[in-house]
Amino acid sequence: MPSVTLRINNIACRYETANVLENINFSADEGDFIGIIGPNASGKSTLLKSISKTLKPHTGTVFLDERDVYTLKGIEVAKKLAVVPQESIISFAFTALEIVLMGRIPHLNRFEMESTKDLAIAKKAMQLTNSWYLRERPINQLSGGEKQRVIIARALTQEPKVLLLDEPTGHLDINHEIEILDLIKKLNKEERVVVIAIFHNLNIASQYCEKLILLNKGKIFTAGRADDVLTQKNIEKVYGIKVRVKRDELSGKLLIHPQRKRIVKATKGRVHIVAGSGTAISLMNELVDNGYDVSLGVINIGDSDYVAAKTLGLDILEEKPFSPIARENYEKNLKLIKQAEYVILTNIPIGFANIKNLEAIKQAKNLIIIEKEPIEKRDYTKGEATKLYYELKAGALVVKNSHAALEVLKKRSEVL
Amino acid sequence: MYKNYLKKIFHWKLIITYLTATLGLTIILALTFGAAHISPFTVFKILLAKLPLIKNLITPSWSIGEATIILQIRLPRIILGVLVGAALGVAGTTMQGLFKNPMADPYIIGISSGAALGAVFTIAFGLSIFGMYTIPLMAFAGATAAIFLVYNIASVRRKLPVSTLLLAGIAVTLFLSAIISLMMYTSGEELHGIVFWLMGGLWGRNWNHVLMAFPFIFLGTIIIYIFARDLNVMLLGEEPAQHLGIEVETLKKIILLSASLITAAAVSVSGIIGFVGLIIPHAMRILVGPDHRILLPSSALVGGIFLVWADTLARTIIAPIELPVGIITALFGAPFFIYLLRTRKRAMF
Repeated sequence: MPSVTLRINNIACRYETANVLENINFSADEGDFIGIIGPNASGKSTLLKSISKTLKPHTGTVFLDERDVYTLKGIEVAKKLAVVPQESIISFAFTALEIVLMGRIPHLNRFEMESTKDLAIAKKAMQLTNSWYLRERPINQLSGGEKQRVIIARALTQEPKVLLLDEPTGHLDINHEIEILDLIKKLNKEERVVVIAIFHNLNIASQYCEKLILLNKGKIFTAGRADDVLTQKNIEKVYGIKVRVKRDELSGKLLIHPQRKRIVKATKGRVHIVAGSGTAISLMNELVDNGYDVSLGVINIGDSDYVAAKTLGLDILEEKPFSPIARENYEKNLKLIKQAEYVILTNIPIGFANIKNLEAIKQAKNLIIIEKEPIEKRDYTKGEATKLYYELKAGALVVKNSHAALEVLKKRSEVL
Repeated sequence: MYKNYLKKIFHWKLIITYLTATLGLTIILALTFGAAHISPFTVFKILLAKLPLIKNLITPSWSIGEATIILQIRLPRIILGVLVGAALGVAGTTMQGLFKNPMADPYIIGISSGAALGAVFTIAFGLSIFGMYTIPLMAFAGATAAIFLVYNIASVRRKLPVSTLLLAGIAVTLFLSAIISLMMYTSGEELHGIVFWLMGGLWGRNWNHVLMAFPFIFLGTIIIYIFARDLNVMLLGEEPAQHLGIEVETLKKIILLSASLITAAAVSVSGIIGFVGLIIPHAMRILVGPDHRILLPSSALVGGIFLVWADTLARTIIAPIELPVGIITALFGAPFFIYLLRTRKRAMF
């Protein structure tokens, strides 16, 4: 077997009688950036603890440079392996520099004071993590982001070959999160440090890790290249939610979108929407979140409004793709419109395929029109639609966007 | 930057030198206080005359009585004060660091109640197997028994969770205190003696008491100091400390046992002197910072200085009646500590 920096050989961990980890095998070598993902209680932290010699596995071995970490002295492990916890609670007034210098302890004899070399290493680490300016500040007065940068500097001061991170940015703002992860990525690439990190956020894991280990109920569900692990099937199976996986146009990395379901019960009146080309996505979501019973129609299958409505589980009147509205659907639409307390027409282009929707709207009890552009610009019926539209507009309330439409509905229901 | 760092080291050395000098001066000045008036100069000469080499150069200008008062009565008591004060300072600092709890003091894991039970038992039943040393020996036995008990209650599968340790300490303290109260309630004439011992004091102590306490306090302090840097790291939490290569469970046991033995030795010769072990570490943390490499020695020195002055006050303030020193430590120490709290910005915890 070729020599690798870190090799996890068939480990299993148990708390009392419950198995927390089983059959875990993987290895990591110089320059690897491995993300550990999985739902809560899937064993992520336990895995990290068994690697860092904190929690001895019941069976199996962790090899660091081909030596069993559980036979090594703590100090030998600390020379090669550093850990960044999710959060550090330090209630004593050590300065940031004093905290970072503690990273040199594994390299010093018991009574040896830190030398110029140790200070230089600490300084470099603090400059890398953009925390050098904090050096004289007491650690307990720093913000979460500042403190985490200091803690990472301490880990780097250990000059480790392996860096373990347990959700290193769980408590940070997005700007600090990116700053810290970029830094870790840089160390990983330039200094060839092995990085093994737990991530809750799948999109962050996707952005930074080449390899991923997806844990489920204490076992490796799947592991490998991020592209192979982050599939819709894998995520839906392990996390038990509907997701959509897309490729980010800029980074080429995968992006995971959870799919929304209705979470608020429909207690308010029926609102019928006439839309298309994604003009009603946010409107439908907002209406649903505010407890309205929403229907959509007539809409072509595959339209982005159609997809969104389907996800939300709305009543939909559907028409085959690229087909004009059939007679039968027109009738059904008319029925829905008559039933609805409100009808909302979004800012859609009107052509011969969907002009029948405008005709049907004439029957609406209360009509709200969302108008962003004048109808003339989006009339593809040589004026027929424009004529119809002005008729409708005379008896309707016109608003500028979907948010305003929602406000109108809210105000009306207050009056009622 | 390295200059700043060297400055810190120099600063530390300065603090230790200054405190050591203050301690020396304290001892000499404290020796002059008492019913018989003896000048500082004479005191100094009496002390010098005991030193090898120099003693031939000094012509005695004092009576044998004066020498006896200084060397056999005042000096052992003052040295014991230094020892006990230093012990409480070191043990208090250690316990606060180990438990990461500002309320921790040397007695936190039941050592005082164990010692008290031993002492109260001896007084109440008028035991005198070892003559005047029966009380300290029994107190020491009680203290070590309490440590043993708490330690065994708290250890789970060879690990020692500090929160369990803390609770076990409280439980044992409450239980032993109940027994002590029962004994006091039924003791009758001996009550005064018991109360006096419980309040803590250094009266009537001689060189033998010093010799009894010294080995434990000296060795314990040395051992704890060896692990001063590890104690710093422990303040980050047990897991981070382990990740920096500290063998946490072993360290906790060594540190806890050392601090306990130091405390047991101090309590057995002085009774339960409160306040010093709680407040001196806090005050020093405010003044010199949280690094145990400077905090431990300065807490020891200031603990010693403070207790010697408190004891001097206790024996002179309404002479010839002596007050229990525990009353003085709290009466004068607390306002000073409040002053420090209000004026210093550096947070202690």
